[in-house]
Amino acid sequence: MAKENQLLEEITGSEYKYGFSSDIETETAPKGLNEDTVRFISAKKNEPEWMLASRLKAFRYWLTLEEPRHWAHIQYPVIDFQDIIYYAAPKRPKELKSLDEVDPELLRTFEKLGISLEEQKRLSGVQSTIAIDAVIDSVSVKTTFKETLAEKGIIFCSFSEAVQEHPELVKQYMGSVVPYTDNYYAALNAAVFSDGSFCYIPKGVRCPMELSTYFRINTSGTGQFERTLIIADEGAYVSYLEGCTAPMRDENQLHAAVVEIIAHKNGEVKYSTVQNWYPGDKQGKGGIYNFVTKRGICLGDNSKISWTQVETGSAITWKYPSVILKGNNSVGEFYSVAVTNNYQQADTGTKMTHLGKNTRSTIVSKGISAGFSNNSYRGLVRIAKGATGARNHSQCDSLLMGDKCGAHTFPYIEIKDKSAIVEHEATTSKIGEDQIFYCNQRGIPTEKAVALIVNGYCKEVLNQLPMEFAVEAQKLLTVSLEGSVG
Amino acid sequence: MSTIAEKINTGEKLLPSLEKEQDLLSGSEAIRVIRRKGVDSFSKQGLPARKSEEYKYSPVSLLFKPELALRAPIQSPVLKTRDIDSYRIPQLDAYQITLVNGFFSPELSALQLEDGMISVSSLSTIPAPLVPLFTKHFGNYASIHADPFTALNTAVFADVLFISIPEKKLLDKPIQILNIIHADSPVLISPRILIHVGKGASVQIIENYIYTGKSSQVVSNALTEIVVEEGSRALFYKIQDHCTDLNLISTTQVLQKTGSHFDTHTVTLSGKWIRNNLNIVPDGEHCETHLNGLFILNGAQHTDNHTLVDHRKPNCESNQLYRGILDDKSTGVFNGKIYVRPDAQKTNAYQSSKNMLLSDEASMNTKPQLEIYADDVKCSHGSSTGQIDEDALFYLRARGLSIDSARALLMLAFARDVVNTIRIDALRTEVERLIEKRLTK
Repeated sequence: MAKENQLLEEITGSEYKYGFSSDIETETAPKGLNEDTVRFISAKKNEPEWMLASRLKAFRYWLTLEEPRHWAHIQYPVIDFQDIIYYAAPKRPKELKSLDEVDPELLRTFEKLGISLEEQKRLSGVQSTIAIDAVIDSVSVKTTFKETLAEKGIIFCSFSEAVQEHPELVKQYMGSVVPYTDNYYAALNAAVFSDGSFCYIPKGVRCPMELSTYFRINTSGTGQFERTLIIADEGAYVSYLEGCTAPMRDENQLHAAVVEIIAHKNGEVKYSTVQNWYPGDKQGKGGIYNFVTKRGICLGDNSKISWTQVETGSAITWKYPSVILKGNNSVGEFYSVAVTNNYQQADTGTKMTHLGKNTRSTIVSKGISAGFSNNSYRGLVRIAKGATGARNHSQCDSLLMGDKCGAHTFPYIEIKDKSAIVEHEATTSKIGEDQIFYCNQRGIPTEKAVALIVNGYCKEVLNQLPMEFAVEAQKLLTVSLEGSVG
Repeated sequence: MSTIAEKINTGEKLLPSLEKEQDLLSGSEAIRVIRRKGVDSFSKQGLPARKSEEYKYSPVSLLFKPELALRAPIQSPVLKTRDIDSYRIPQLDAYQITLVNGFFSPELSALQLEDGMISVSSLSTIPAPLVPLFTKHFGNYASIHADPFTALNTAVFADVLFISIPEKKLLDKPIQILNIIHADSPVLISPRILIHVGKGASVQIIENYIYTGKSSQVVSNALTEIVVEEGSRALFYKIQDHCTDLNLISTTQVLQKTGSHFDTHTVTLSGKWIRNNLNIVPDGEHCETHLNGLFILNGAQHTDNHTLVDHRKPNCESNQLYRGILDDKSTGVFNGKIYVRPDAQKTNAYQSSKNMLLSDEASMNTKPQLEIYADDVKCSHGSSTGQIDEDALFYLRARGLSIDSARALLMLAFARDVVNTIRIDALRTEVERLIEKRLTK
């Protein structure tokens, strides 16, 4: 036991590995939030009048709302929304023709993160695998593979570009899944969102590569409010990856993103996230507040939306990627691994709303808590009247490491149709001493044994990730786990 | 008779009636102080608002009509022994206790107690030697701040049924409490019970809820506190039949001491709107707790089972088993909470909730909830909602059963998960009979 404790202390000491801050000149809005800030952002982005109007409408609505503080199983100090910089854009030349024009500091940042654009570029000549829309501090810096995609009619660009070039699509779909009236942070986002990714897959097109966005929060005291909109038209397919790392900061940083997904008839969207923002130090100081609204709608028949997330970072994670199953025979999936360590708090889960006939949903949630952290699964499965033949299976397992952490499950199941079959299972336990012993006996040290067992425990979810991401996710998991052998 | 004002949510408008009631109710100074605290707490909380998390699926606004009076007329003389005989369980040999509108009625009870058996008394007849025991425990476990209905009951309870089982007493036969509500006009009745099970004692208690009135706007807000002392064993059966048209909030608060065993069943077969709050605190090591529940609903019935097991000490075990069958326009709720406090290592807590929907109009809301702050625990819950298995139905029909009897048989089997755990033979037979009657129509 003493040895275990020693190991525990040793490893809990592991610092945030992506903790560095790069010196890129940024252009920032003045601190604080008022109509002028909203106008400033809109003007900076050279937005059309309708966009500004929509921002202002959201902002005025936001003013009438009260910050939600009570229902989630998380605690944090009051956020001063006037003490946040709402816009920070890296200064850069107007258009980037090649990678040479990219700020070398920026490239170095990417290198540290292990997603070198050069590498991507070089590889692209031989075999194209991932298209990256890199987002640093809210503004999309570089979109690669755009031409390759354009040939297929796929639009993959930054949100602000989409506002300029495809206003009809933005007008039609923005806010159709997450309206600005949805919740406090969705309203805030609709008012001050800085940038994000936009993706449209036309009818019958199967996107040939994984689309990927890298988010990173860089300037101190800036909130990141990006907005992502993904549309899969009839029969289209896309796999979209989102990965996040942020440098070490002392102040808490607010992140309130909105992601909307629309899947038309026979369309399919697979959305994968690996989130590793700065979780704060061992004392729970600093770290990102991650208050995200993610929702998809299966509009047409036989459509499918699948969320996969690996959450290891952020001081507070508060997000519920949801699916509204409107089309008949549509499918919603949610696979999640959430790891909390030290003083991290996570309240995450999903909402599956079954409206169409023969709709199916699967929820697999794996929570791992260590240190002094609290990890909650909060989910809703709602079967509406008339959703004949709906089927849901949910499974949420929690793993506890150490006796100071907490694991909680808050599943809501609402059934209004007799033909529905809904199952929910949840377990909470710690890693079996017999399992550790079994590994030790075969010469595997405790720490590695824990990593092994946890990887096995999360396998169901990790298997859902695209190859490119699975490796990174496993690495992240091991890094986060290093601090949690109990 | 005071009435509850329309805007009850604020609690303010209700306050004058609660105040006025204080002078009319009898009791010692200590009891008045307790009631006063209830009034204060309720006036702060008001009734649960529509958005209240705890009452999310059971909005109470419909229950509290302006014409609702706070208190029923004192003990109605209408009831005779023969009136209530039909509610007794056949073949059940038990100590009979009858409450009418919350008042203990010795005339309608059949106790024949010998010395040193058990003590059954009302607020005004507590034997002197037991007064300290009553004072020590009464009102100490059901927190008036945790639930507005606990506060409301505490504010206006008129009488208390106090049952004390002495140390090491192994009771030879069960105690049956007939909790009769008899009112023809809309009233709020607040029955209150305190049961103390002494160290090493063993007892079986059956509580039957019976409604004999005609109004469909009567609200009974019952509160029962049970203290299960060290090494003792208590089986508590709550049977909600003969409750058609009754609105019932029934809160049971249990405190378990070291090494005790508590086993409870909540069977709901009738009632207009029922909310069962079952809060159990195993506050000692090596406690064993079993919570079983069965509800079979039809018409526009609403039943909400809220359970809370708050594990505070290590090495305890709890087990929850709930089954529900819902037909017509009925609505059911199951919200089971398991709480494991930081020091409650080696806790084993299980929960299983299964429900069957028979009609498209019926709905079921489930919220099985785990909050765990200790790592060396084994906790799990499983919940499912579905319909009768078509394959099983086909199997039975292929063997010549009619569709109705095949369905009834499958539902009976489903309900038996719970019924089979009833340990009093006469009661089990009776519950089986009632269920069979209900399911075969």
